[in-house]
Amino acid sequence: MEKVKKKPSLLDIALIFLILAAGTWLFYRIKVGLHYHWNWYAIPQYLLRFDPEEGKWVSNLLLQGLFATIRLSIWGTLLAAFLGVIMGLCRISRSLFLRLLSRTYIEFNRNLPPIVLIFLFYYFVTTQVLGNLNMQGLIQSLPANFQALVGFLFGPPSFIVPFVSALLTLGFFEGAYIAEIVRSGIQSIEKEQWEGGRAIGLSRWQLMRLIIFPLTIRKILPPLAGQFVSTIKDSAIVSVISVQELTFQGMELMSSTYMVFEIWITVTVLYMALTVPVSLSIHRLEVYLRKNIS
Amino acid sequence: MGTRKIVVLLVTIALILCIPASGFAGKIQKELVEESTLDQVLRRGVLRVGMSTFVPWAMRDKTGKLVGFEIDVARRLAKDMGVKVQFAPTKWAGIIPALLTGKFDVIIGGMGILPKRNLKVNFSIPYDETGMSLVANKKLAAGFKSLDDFNKKGVVISVRLGATPVAAAKKYMPKAELRQFDDESEAIQEVVNGRAHAMVASAPLPAFLSLKYPGRLFLPLKGTFTKEPIGFAVRKSDFDTLNFFNNWITVVKAEGWLKERKHYWFETRDWEGLLK
Repeated sequence: MEKVKKKPSLLDIALIFLILAAGTWLFYRIKVGLHYHWNWYAIPQYLLRFDPEEGKWVSNLLLQGLFATIRLSIWGTLLAAFLGVIMGLCRISRSLFLRLLSRTYIEFNRNLPPIVLIFLFYYFVTTQVLGNLNMQGLIQSLPANFQALVGFLFGPPSFIVPFVSALLTLGFFEGAYIAEIVRSGIQSIEKEQWEGGRAIGLSRWQLMRLIIFPLTIRKILPPLAGQFVSTIKDSAIVSVISVQELTFQGMELMSSTYMVFEIWITVTVLYMALTVPVSLSIHRLEVYLRKNIS
Repeated sequence: MGTRKIVVLLVTIALILCIPASGFAGKIQKELVEESTLDQVLRRGVLRVGMSTFVPWAMRDKTGKLVGFEIDVARRLAKDMGVKVQFAPTKWAGIIPALLTGKFDVIIGGMGILPKRNLKVNFSIPYDETGMSLVANKKLAAGFKSLDDFNKKGVVISVRLGATPVAAAKKYMPKAELRQFDDESEAIQEVVNGRAHAMVASAPLPAFLSLKYPGRLFLPLKGTFTKEPIGFAVRKSDFDTLNFFNNWITVVKAEGWLKERKHYWFETRDWEGLLK
């Protein structure tokens, strides 16, 4: 490993000083130049509030939005992983049709702005698919404890249709990136591994399952986890189709209270609280994989 | 090579199957569309109302619950129909497509009855009336008294995107520069911070704003400069639903209930404590 300098140089100190000065200036401008009535006291109640009827603390709009974002990101990533692995495998398949199919899927998703895709998908695809399913009625006909489980996993039944639409859209869209990760992961495996496998008489499927896949998984785990962070961030875009996630709830509150800056800052902190731990664990995962394998 | 042929065969069969299937599905869907929303609501037991957050029509209170003039109207409507109400907060720019694609049954969201809009959706008779008014920045628009003062090159007007204010501003102040924002609050911030001379919005927001920022904002015009009827929006070709809504509005208007609610939300600020 290369030696890392522990002491800051004179240039570093100067730079830090400059950045601090710029930050202070910005802070001063916001404080003085904006003519804005700051009202931070009102914010905590939008996260948690005491419900006198039930006699306990319950989450309010912003936290509910955060939970919806978490649900969207987790389910969206799982769906994307499913789609992505299939499409990634198709991409290196020997069948021309499968390669064309996956290539079309990937290029379609990667070459369109996500917001355009989301509208296309929401109005034309999910409306037709989910419209006739009556999911809300279905959930509400379930026994109470099942309903609670579904509510925990997918959010309140009254918002299930937009939620699932958003989920499908997000999964469909992120799947293209995962497909590329899977494809490049498999293609990065050394030629010798393939040749070795073939030499001992493994079929293509056995070769994949026993040699290539285990090797690939180790390589693609960090970028896959990185894609999870991307999904969290991209989930903010589905606020445009009125899914009640963090960004949408934040904007709802802003329209009601006009506390624009406080709420944007709170939303920023909430997103950071979600993504920074994930990013840090990815880093640790990378270090672990590097130490223990190869 | 054998599998290739099988795949081609399967795809051909699938395509052939698609032709009658799509015709059949289309027929069913047509039947579904033809069925009135009113009937569906009664059977479902839930009235799904599309709305957009907009002070004081619909807002979030401290507990995250929706309150406001429209919310009162929708709750009463559902109560009179004997069904539950379910609100679908929707971004204003996408609210008509969402109605058309069946995300909810009716828009009760302070929607102005405009001929252009009416080509896409049906409107009930008006249950309320509003108009556009103007709130201006004290420093930038000092001495401005009429619309003509604002109708000049170099004057910046902020508005919410995709709404009637845009049309009103373009019509009455064509020379001014229009800056459009996705959310009301951003448009407000623009004029408070002095990056725009004035903001055009539906009454009573401009009046509320001038009360909230007395040092920064003022009302250059008395009252509203446009008059605009407001109705419920429903999907086309649904006479039953429209007839019911029209008569419901006539009834509650005659009761004086609408006027009383309007007074509470628009002329008093008793509800301020609910929000913060």
